[in-house]
Amino acid sequence: MTTFVATVVGSICFAVLAPIVGCFLDGLDRKISAGMQGRVGPKLMQPYWDVRKLLQKEKMSVNTVEGTYIACALFFAIVAGGLFYSGGNFLLCTLVITLSSLFFIMAAYSTRSPFAEVGAARETLQVMSYEPMVIFTAVGMYMIAGTFDVAGLFDMRHPLICYGWPIFLGLLFILTIKLRKSPFDISSSHHAHQELVKGITTEMSGPTLARVQILHWCENVLFLGWTGMFFLSAGPASLIVALVFVALVYFLEIWIDNNFARVKWQVMLKWAWIVALVAGGINIAVLAFA
Amino acid sequence: MVHIGFLVCLPLVAAVLLSLVRANKARNAIVYVSAALIAADSLWLCFSQMGTQGVYFTFSSSAVDAVCTLASIAIGACIIAYAVRYKNVWAGILAVVQLVGSLVFDFTLAHTASVEQGLYFDSLSLIMAFIIGIIGTGICVYAIGYMEDFQKEHEGEKDRRPTLFAIMFLFLSAMYVIVFSNNMVWAFTGWEVTTLCSFLLIGYTKTDEAIRNAFRQIIMNIAGGLGFLAALYYSAGVMGTLDFSQFLQMGMIAPALVVLPVTCLTFAGLTKAAQMPFHTWLLGAMVAPTPTSALLHSSTMVKAGVFLLIKLAPLYALSVIPSMLAILVGGITFCLASFMAISQSNAKRVLAYSTIANLGLIVACAGVGTPEAVWAAIFLVIFHAVAKSLLFLCVGTAEHHIGSRNIEDMDLLFERMPKLARLMMLGIMTMFIAPFGMLVSKWATLVSIIDAQQVALIVLLAFGSAATFMFWAKWLGKLSGIAAEQEDVELTVHKSEWIALYAMAGLIVVLCALLPVVSDCSVLPYLQSVYGSVGAPIGNDLLWLMSVLVIVVAIVLFAGLNRQPKDVRKASVYMSGVSVNSEARTFINSMSGETEATSRNMYLENIFGEKTIKPIGEIACTLLIIAAFAVSLSLSISVLF
Repeated sequence: MTTFVATVVGSICFAVLAPIVGCFLDGLDRKISAGMQGRVGPKLMQPYWDVRKLLQKEKMSVNTVEGTYIACALFFAIVAGGLFYSGGNFLLCTLVITLSSLFFIMAAYSTRSPFAEVGAARETLQVMSYEPMVIFTAVGMYMIAGTFDVAGLFDMRHPLICYGWPIFLGLLFILTIKLRKSPFDISSSHHAHQELVKGITTEMSGPTLARVQILHWCENVLFLGWTGMFFLSAGPASLIVALVFVALVYFLEIWIDNNFARVKWQVMLKWAWIVALVAGGINIAVLAFA
Repeated sequence: MVHIGFLVCLPLVAAVLLSLVRANKARNAIVYVSAALIAADSLWLCFSQMGTQGVYFTFSSSAVDAVCTLASIAIGACIIAYAVRYKNVWAGILAVVQLVGSLVFDFTLAHTASVEQGLYFDSLSLIMAFIIGIIGTGICVYAIGYMEDFQKEHEGEKDRRPTLFAIMFLFLSAMYVIVFSNNMVWAFTGWEVTTLCSFLLIGYTKTDEAIRNAFRQIIMNIAGGLGFLAALYYSAGVMGTLDFSQFLQMGMIAPALVVLPVTCLTFAGLTKAAQMPFHTWLLGAMVAPTPTSALLHSSTMVKAGVFLLIKLAPLYALSVIPSMLAILVGGITFCLASFMAISQSNAKRVLAYSTIANLGLIVACAGVGTPEAVWAAIFLVIFHAVAKSLLFLCVGTAEHHIGSRNIEDMDLLFERMPKLARLMMLGIMTMFIAPFGMLVSKWATLVSIIDAQQVALIVLLAFGSAATFMFWAKWLGKLSGIAAEQEDVELTVHKSEWIALYAMAGLIVVLCALLPVVSDCSVLPYLQSVYGSVGAPIGNDLLWLMSVLVIVVAIVLFAGLNRQPKDVRKASVYMSGVSVNSEARTFINSMSGETEATSRNMYLENIFGEKTIKPIGEIACTLLIIAAFAVSLSLSISVLF
């Protein structure tokens, strides 16, 4: 029963706080990116105004179910976030966020739009590319900490990173895919003039697109939490250390986004799996036998 | 014991009646009545004996022994007759070897080791009885409507429906024999009857392809049956028992003694469960009418294979050789079959590869042999049975009405057959996504193999699961595609088909939502009776949390998608601003003509094609089997002499 209550309370808190934090991070991303490109960039609050405007637009859709699928995707992303930040089961969190991705993919497929379908197919490939490393992350956590519970990390003498640094590096690699950053922003890109328009979100507009944006904010907050998890140990000081590293990771992702050209999906799949096999496989083997 | 007798005999009686009756109405009545009786009695047995720690009945009968001998002779004669008629040398040779082998056994060694407690049931047999009794009979009911359409499509051909229905019920009877027999000879007879039944079912249409695939099946499964027979020889000759529970107990006391028979039985289980390199027989089985595939894939045949391996699990925990054989063959099959499923566009073939993959996972779990792994294996069996039968039946109905089993043709399915598409979506989601049953079982698998430190298996599971997501998600996407209004072809679906489909769908939702209850009342009691006190690999608090999520998804699927929001303006899809007809997805091309925009799912043939993957798996698994036999043979020789 406590698990249930904790998850519900955690999800409600996450639903309120994650969009705020995610929106701020998004604004920061655009500021920093602009700086790297020698521009001034928009105001920090620009993502908020963008989404607000989207919410006020007329509701238009190519079918009646797209909105339902997106609502489900958002709902399950919030549940996943609630599970994680209430100290719940990390493996369940990864499973629920996959469910959220699936609903997002189904929303795109349901339109039967040529552009959206290509985007959806590529998004599916992206999930397949990063999934092994996500599983290895959960496995590594369980082998080091002896539990999947995020709350259990605060009882550890040494943080996960000490014995799981190869897995952490592997997670960083696929994080670029999960955050939809270049070179792996294959299913959707930030630029409207792309050949495939906006890939997976081609047919989404107005309030539905606003929900997609909020979904991404929530996902970003969750995934950054996953990286922060590696630095947690007994004592509140570890939280500060984790936050510092999360900030560094986010900066690194923005830097990668701005400095690498988009690759083809074959390259993404190949390298994501090689990295997972090497970083994840070796780390787990060492943990099991050493 | 009355119930066991009833469950074994009633399908037999039904089979005899069905083979004689030629009138459609009478046949339908017999199928409905006997299916209802079998299902009711299975349910009664399951609920009245819920949580049992195992009940063994003192029952030995020379009459039953004689029936078994006669059955062996009949099976052998039947296969030899077919082998002669279709000039298949290998099937003939194997059938002769098997016939001689089992007759020699029956008249010599079988009498030296008498079994007092011939019948039994424990919580695992009850779960199997539930699967056979509900899903197996559900498929028989579905077959009524399906075969009527099938016969219409194949007009002018001989109506072989009496045989088909008779064999299906015989199949159910044989399955009950396998799950309730403690006498290994009786179980072996049931085992061989299922082999013969699937041979006859696969060859049902008598086309060249059907006959070829049927012979492939029989050759592989007789080879497996010979493994079972070898284990019987060893058990009776060396250990002096044919009592399966005694065999397991002796094995737990002296693991070195049973290495060879356990390896033989593992081999038998691997062939029946269609593990590499024997997976081709299950792929070939899809030439048969769809109810046959559904029966083979979900509740019978392949489940007999994994049932045997799950029973052997406590021995795997103790002896390394057969354990490694099951873990590696199962793990490799899971991973590679999932890869190959990506490259398939034929719906039945995707389902077949997914069955092979999931059986691989079950085999690997059984091979790990810890209570947590067995917990996962049993849940994989349960959810795979319900989800896969629903999927096969949906594909069968869709095939009859949209005229194709190609996934690429299914993108209009949602509008043409909305109810069917949602049932199919439920089945697919049950197969691969949390919070549904298969994923919960996979989670438990992961926990148990981490605890058992099976690194190779963890890696295979991680990559295989990623591939699983890919091939299911793209199919699901096709189903969710919505187009312009199409005629509603659902009206012509037979009532018996809807009954079966909705029964399976209801069962899925109930089982997923009540997973913790099933765990407490059926699976944990079995583990307790085998391993002593144990706990589930996943806490009940998390399982209940999943149940809530299952209900949310089910509501979305069956109610949420029907919502017709009023204030939303309908727009047409984006065609780069040059669309001619948005509903038909046509646009103006660069020559000022019209072109239809089409898109196809990705099948990644170059990476995951059968040509690339299949040889790797076949070679690896064949080598593993040979190595396991060589090592266990030399071990046994050194133990015995």
